[in-house]
Amino acid sequence: MNWQHIMTLIGVLAAAGVEAAEPCGAALTGDKRILQNARYQVAYLTDINPVPAGRHFVVDFAVCPRGDAPPPSAVRVDANMPEHRHGMNYRPVVTTTAPGVYRAEGLLFHMPGRWDLTFDLVTGNTTQRLASTLRVE
Amino acid sequence: MKHAVLAAGSLLVLLLAGTVPAQDPAPEPFTVAQWRAILALGPWPNPTGVDPSNRVSGHPDAIAFGATLFADPRLSRDGTLACATCHQPERAFADGLPRGRGATDVDRNTTSLLNVGGQRWYGWDGAADNLWAMSLRPMLDEREMGGNAQQLASLVRSDPALQARYAAVFRQPPPADDERVAVDLAKALAAYQETLVTARTPFDEFRDALARGDTVAAARYPAAARRGLAFFVGEGRCTMCHGGPRFSNDEFGDVGVPYFIAPGKVDAGRHGGIAQLKSSRYNLLGPFNDDAKRATATSTRHVAIEHRNYGEFKVPSLRDVARTAPYMHNGSIPTLREVVRHYSNLDENRLHADGERILKPLGLSKYDTDDLVAFLESLTSPASTP
Repeated sequence: MNWQHIMTLIGVLAAAGVEAAEPCGAALTGDKRILQNARYQVAYLTDINPVPAGRHFVVDFAVCPRGDAPPPSAVRVDANMPEHRHGMNYRPVVTTTAPGVYRAEGLLFHMPGRWDLTFDLVTGNTTQRLASTLRVE
Repeated sequence: MKHAVLAAGSLLVLLLAGTVPAQDPAPEPFTVAQWRAILALGPWPNPTGVDPSNRVSGHPDAIAFGATLFADPRLSRDGTLACATCHQPERAFADGLPRGRGATDVDRNTTSLLNVGGQRWYGWDGAADNLWAMSLRPMLDEREMGGNAQQLASLVRSDPALQARYAAVFRQPPPADDERVAVDLAKALAAYQETLVTARTPFDEFRDALARGDTVAAARYPAAARRGLAFFVGEGRCTMCHGGPRFSNDEFGDVGVPYFIAPGKVDAGRHGGIAQLKSSRYNLLGPFNDDAKRATATSTRHVAIEHRNYGEFKVPSLRDVARTAPYMHNGSIPTLREVVRHYSNLDENRLHADGERILKPLGLSKYDTDDLVAFLESLTSPASTP
């Protein structure tokens, strides 16, 4: 493909309204983890990695709708130990840091073991949950 | 350097074989998971640093002033009770009684003050989020020392020696605000208590020997204690709560100890503690925190009150545990052996855990019990045993 062909292709794509897709969470710098289902993708990272037991940590994350999914109207972050059937002793607070980008503060895993970090994305009457499993020491 | 090479070599063997070879033929070798869990129980001592919420934390003159105040019965309303009356240095800074005895009898066991610095929560119910608030509470509590801010401030202002020491520590004479003076006394007391750190123990020597791959030193740890340790970090899953260098996760649990105080009266434990914490003027979000950034207030800001907190009590440290009998929040278990039996025969029907599945009866034999007790006793320094 020569230079003229490339320019022609760019022109055709631009005319068709196709934008270059930016990966979810491009604004987050660091070792990101990606979660997704049919409607959303979440990219997140923690300020301490790996997350140890007994220390508060912060989660920065981006929520990216897929296809025709709308942006969530509310976002919640929580965590639980499925093997013990309990959650955290602390309630995280989520704030928006940029459009589609959030920060959750106040998390603490008070025991070692398996924790599921959950992201609840609320649109209207429905909630989509994406979860990430962490092994905490 | 030699030790570093040995440690690296040990880890390599461990990774290849999946186990740490034992030097004593009697105990089983540790698995990789157990080995990692053991290392996480140290090193010791584990410096906590100064408390930013207390502007005199770590100051030598404040520590000395706090030590003097700690033994001064004039801090109580009737002049008969000092902090040291219940927190007796020769009894691991506890009192050896099932339940504390101040101006009247109280409902809970007197906690040891050893290693009290740097904790996330204080008291069996965690009603305080800092050590100076925890030190102020008994001075003002009717059931304990029974005083008030005015009485404490008057004492300082009327005693030239106390007034001079106050001025030296806080760089100003006692102010007119009684409450401010009382809180400052508590901050000096906290500075002193932060220095109450337990000595190294046989377990610490073993743990460090494992860390540096010193098999000769590790072999000095008694076989029974080693078997007990393997259970503690392995099948027993005790480090779920009693983890870290202080052997406590600084959180709360319901371990099946009854919380009835009297007929029709219960101790709400952590549930009541969170409510008190949130309403206290002396929490880390309040006006007496000396740290404008509130850097250590994250837990207070985010702690959640749940139904399951009802009847939960603080997970105590196990350091010097052989010196802190009797045990549990109500002092209802007199010996370490009986504590182990409690967990061995745990009555799951007594747990009020909202479906949680953390505790289960350990079902220990007499020999297993002996081993676990031997391990727990190895968490006490021989030098500090009376």
